[in-house]
Formats: sequence, structure tokens, C-alpha cells
Amino acid sequence: MSDILIDLFAVVLDVPAEKLSDASAPDNLRQWDSLAAMHLVAAIEDRFKVHLSTKEIMKMSSIGLARKTLLEKNVQL
Amino acid sequence: MTDPRLLWRKHKAEGAADITIGLAGSMTLDPMVPYLGAHLLGRGFKNPKIVSAEFNQLHQACRDPKGAFGDAPDAIFLIWRLEDMFPDMLDRPADVLAAVSGLAQSVATLRRNFSGTIIVSAPPYPSLPAFDPTALEQPVTGGALHRGVLEAWMESIAGIERVRVLDLHGLLLKAGSDTAFDARKWFLYRQPWSESFWAAVGRQAGRILSAETVPAKKCLVLDADNTLWGGIIGEDGMEGIDLGDDFPGSAFRAFQKYALYLKQKGILLAVASKNNEADFYEMFDGHDAMILKRDDVAAFEVHWESKVESLRRIAQKLNIGTDSLVFVDDSAKEIAEVRERLPEVTCVMAPEELADLPGVLTGLDLFDLAEVTDEDRNRAAMMAVERKRENLQETMSEAEFKAQLGLEMSVFRTDKRHIARVAQLINKSNQFNLTTRRRPQGEIETLARDEGWRVLGMELKDKYGDYGLVGAAVLEKRGRVCVIDTLLMSCRVLGRDAETSFIAQLAEAAKRMGCETVQGRYIPTPKNGMVKGLYAAHGFAYDERSDVWTAGVDAVTKAPAHTRIRNTA
Repeated sequence: MSDILIDLFAVVLDVPAEKLSDASAPDNLRQWDSLAAMHLVAAIEDRFKVHLSTKEIMKMSSIGLARKTLLEKNVQL
Repeated sequence: MTDPRLLWRKHKAEGAADITIGLAGSMTLDPMVPYLGAHLLGRGFKNPKIVSAEFNQLHQACRDPKGAFGDAPDAIFLIWRLEDMFPDMLDRPADVLAAVSGLAQSVATLRRNFSGTIIVSAPPYPSLPAFDPTALEQPVTGGALHRGVLEAWMESIAGIERVRVLDLHGLLLKAGSDTAFDARKWFLYRQPWSESFWAAVGRQAGRILSAETVPAKKCLVLDADNTLWGGIIGEDGMEGIDLGDDFPGSAFRAFQKYALYLKQKGILLAVASKNNEADFYEMFDGHDAMILKRDDVAAFEVHWESKVESLRRIAQKLNIGTDSLVFVDDSAKEIAEVRERLPEVTCVMAPEELADLPGVLTGLDLFDLAEVTDEDRNRAAMMAVERKRENLQETMSEAEFKAQLGLEMSVFRTDKRHIARVAQLINKSNQFNLTTRRRPQGEIETLARDEGWRVLGMELKDKYGDYGLVGAAVLEKRGRVCVIDTLLMSCRVLGRDAETSFIAQLAEAAKRMGCETVQGRYIPTPKNGMVKGLYAAHGFAYDERSDVWTAGVDAVTKAPAHTRIRNTA
């Protein structure tokens, strides 16, 4: 069962989707550096046609928190 | 299309790098790496290696490239912005200029110690609230600072051998600063630019590098019907062709101008057209709105054979490979055939949206030349001379200014080459138009052939350029009286006494028609107030009862001496 948010992170971070979960975060994922963080924001905005505020971007400090933020913005995940 | 970032990440870096590039910037340049890398991969490089120096270490990178990039790279980019380099100095222009000159000295040091390609940025207009371009003081505050820095920087760089420029300011203009700058990224990551702008920067950097290795195209081959002009000459005839100052003819003219620009850059031009030779050359040589002349075109292929054959012959005649041809045509069928049979020819389809035609070749790297010519290099110096010349002009009197313009006016009886343009003027001009009488083209043609009438055209040029057919008049002979039925001019040629010259020519034409007096009327409309006093100012007397202005043919104000006149009417 694939998850579109996990898949997006997997592509941008270049990490197999199996290794990612909602607990994945910059602390436990070497690839999630500040450059990748920018690419993630760009990819999320692109893919889900949303605009993220700096507050929202700062809240997204794990895949789970990104999911929560996007769901609050009524993104279908 | 694959995302360049993905393309760059997936490529296998095996063996030795075939190009090594060092990046040093006033900010981290990592976001441009994938776009630069992907561009190079697309241009035939197998294993580009891109090394970033620590950010904001431009001087150090210049003085010790080995320390910054490891073994000497093939090319070094030095990319900087004013607001990163001199954040606390921007209100002190003198200090900024001194610091910029210091940076240029570092580049000169690098040049002495490094034999590869050096590319420096032209600093973009600062993305700072205090530099907001819409603030009313900007032209003299932030704008002045940026202009001054840009000019000083470019001048210093031009003095250093073999330094190329990545024009970040130009890229910023192209993208628009609202699109390029992303305030969220700036505050969260100290990264000023949107992903799309980084992509543009990376691509442009790659374009500069690949211009040195990928051979540029040598010849632009143009179809004629619906590419050089609107319509089909063999079917529509010259009167039916769209080419002139109004849309859609103006789009074709602009495209021809761009082709001429490429020719001046050293690109050969050729024409491949399926047409009868006679029709084609009647149009090409005879239409007065044509920009391209025969001498501009290195090879013509005008016949009914295939475009593939034409392209082969053009390459042969010019002694170049078919792989250095770029072919523009509006027909999908022709393009498909060339793509099929001569895949090495670069084909560009003329766009359906004609407004996009003039720019269809810009932004492509087909004609990128690595070597900037001496003429280009001298242009900056010429600009400085020209600026001084312009300063002279401010001290020149109005009369001296007009005298040095080198105005030339030609007045003639219109024939079928001009009818379409004259009809356009008659049916569209509002402001400089004495009577605003509209007429269908057919009627104008009939009048032009009638010996009792004259349909006159007026063309004007000066040393800065050719304005084209910008005036028209319709005269009617009534015995010894010549009636000015219609008199109009395009507003863009006002202020050169063109109206005086033109009216004087009408009087001359009247004389040649055997008339003794000239009569005209001013019929007011909401738009033509500017010509209310025209006859009064040119020696005509007003009769209130008949509402007619009259002057003897010799009483009409003479043409000013500063305009050279050719009157065949």
C-alpha cells in the first residue's frame, strides 16, 4: 500500500519508501538536510498545489507533522 | 520531460570528470548544481564534476583556487549579489564602488594564476525592501546605486582578459523579481531565490559553458509565406500580404528584424520557399515593408521541390554541414518531413500565436557563440562615446538638432505596392488627420488610377532609421483648384517639421496638376484637435462662409532646408 506523501519524500530525498515512516525526521535521516528541506517544500507545493507559510514550513519537522499540516489545509492524502 | 534534479542525481559519475567546475558565491550555490549539471549532461558531457567553495569566500577563492576547489578546475564561477557582499554599506555608494573595485582586483589576480574559464555574475538588482523598485525615490537612490555598480563592475571586468559574464540582473529582468525572490526561503534558509529562478541560473551557467564546446549553428533557413510575411504571395498577391506597421504585419516585420540581428551577429541567412520565382522576388524585392534585402540572404531556394532538397542545396552552396542549419517554417508537414529525412537539422515551428513569432528563436542556445567579437567588445566603449555625443545634443538648438538628423522625405503616387499600407492609414489614423474620410481599399485603388485624382504616399527616414510609409494624401483636381480631400500622417514622425515638408509637396503636386490654388478643410472630430491650426500655420486663408482654407500654390509655406526631398508625385 503506497502512500503519496511517503512516495514524494522518497523521491526528493532519494531514500527507498520502505525506509520512511511518519516518524522520519531530519534528526534520523541523513539525507534530510537544509537543501533537501527546500526541495521538499517546493515539491509539496508543486504536487498538492498549496502555498505553505513559514509557520507551516517550520512545523513540518517530520513526515507525520507534514501530513498533519497538509491535512489541516484540506489536502487529500 | 524529466526533472533536471532527478536527471542529475541519477547520472552515474564514472571515471575521470570530463569537466570540473568550481562555484564560489556570496550565498550557497548548491541549489543551482543540479540544473547546471543536467544542462551539461544534455549537451554531451558524460561526467561533469561541480565543486562548491564555502560561501562568501569570493576573495579567497580568487586568491587560492586550489584551496577552494581542489585540483585546478576547468571553469570557475564567481556569483555575487550586492546585498550579500556589502549588506551594511548600501547607503554609502562611494564605499560600495571601492569594494566592487577590490573584488575586480581579486578577479584580475585569479586571471593571472588560473588558465581556465572565469565567469562572473553581473549583480542583480537587490531584493531588499529598501530597494523596492516601485518606491518613488528609487530611480535616484537604490536604482542609481545599482546602475553605478553594474557599470563600474562591467567596465573593470571588460579590462580583464577572457572573463565571461553570467548576467544575473538580466535573468532577474526576464523572470521578474516577484517570481525570482522567495522571502520565505530567504528567512528560513538564507536562500534568496525560488526553485524556478535557481533553475534559470543553473541553465544559463550551463549555456555559457556549453557555448565553448558545442558548435553553434551557422545558418538560419527561413520559409517565406506565413513566416517572413503573412499570407501566400502566389495566391494573395502583394496587396493581400500582411507586412507593415500594424498587426499582424508588424509581427512578421519584427521577426525579420530579429533575423537581421542574427545576421549582424554573424549567422548566415537563407530562404527556402515553395513559390514561383517571379511572385517571390516581386514581393521580396518590391514590398516596401520588407526588412530583409537580397544582400542579407546568403542563399535562396525558391521553387516547388521539397524543403529537404532545398536545405541540402543551401548547406552545399554555403559549404557547411546540414547539422549547422536551423529551419523555421509554419507548416507542420514540412517540419515533419525535414525531421524525418534530415534529423540533424534543428527545426523550429513558427508559432500559431503570431505575437510569439518574433521571439521564437530567443532563449534557445542555438546561436550561442563562445567568442565575443571585437565589435561586441567595442560596443561598450562606443556607448560611452555616444553618451558624450548625446550630452552635446542637450546644448544644441532645436534647429541644429533637426539639421543633423539628416531627414529625407519621399513623396510619390501610390501604386499597388503601397495601397494596403495607404488604406490602413486612411482607415485608422485619427489624430493627425484633417478630414478623417474613410475609404475601402478598392475605392482608393480606383482613385489612384483616375487622372483627375492623386493618391500620394510619403516616406520618411533619418540617420537613425527608416520610418516607412507614414503619410498619405488624396488630391482632387477641380479645374484650376486642387482640393485636399485627405491629408494625414502617422503621429510618430511629428516634431521634425514633416508636416511642413509634406504640405509643401502637396502644393508642388498641385502645380504639376496644372492648378493655381490649393484648398483644404479641417473637419473636427474628438481626436484630431492637434491639426486644427495646421492650414493657418502654412499660409492658407480661411473663408468662414464655405469653411474652406485656400492658398495660392506658391503661397504655401516652403519645406524647411534641413529635409532632403524627393517628390515624384
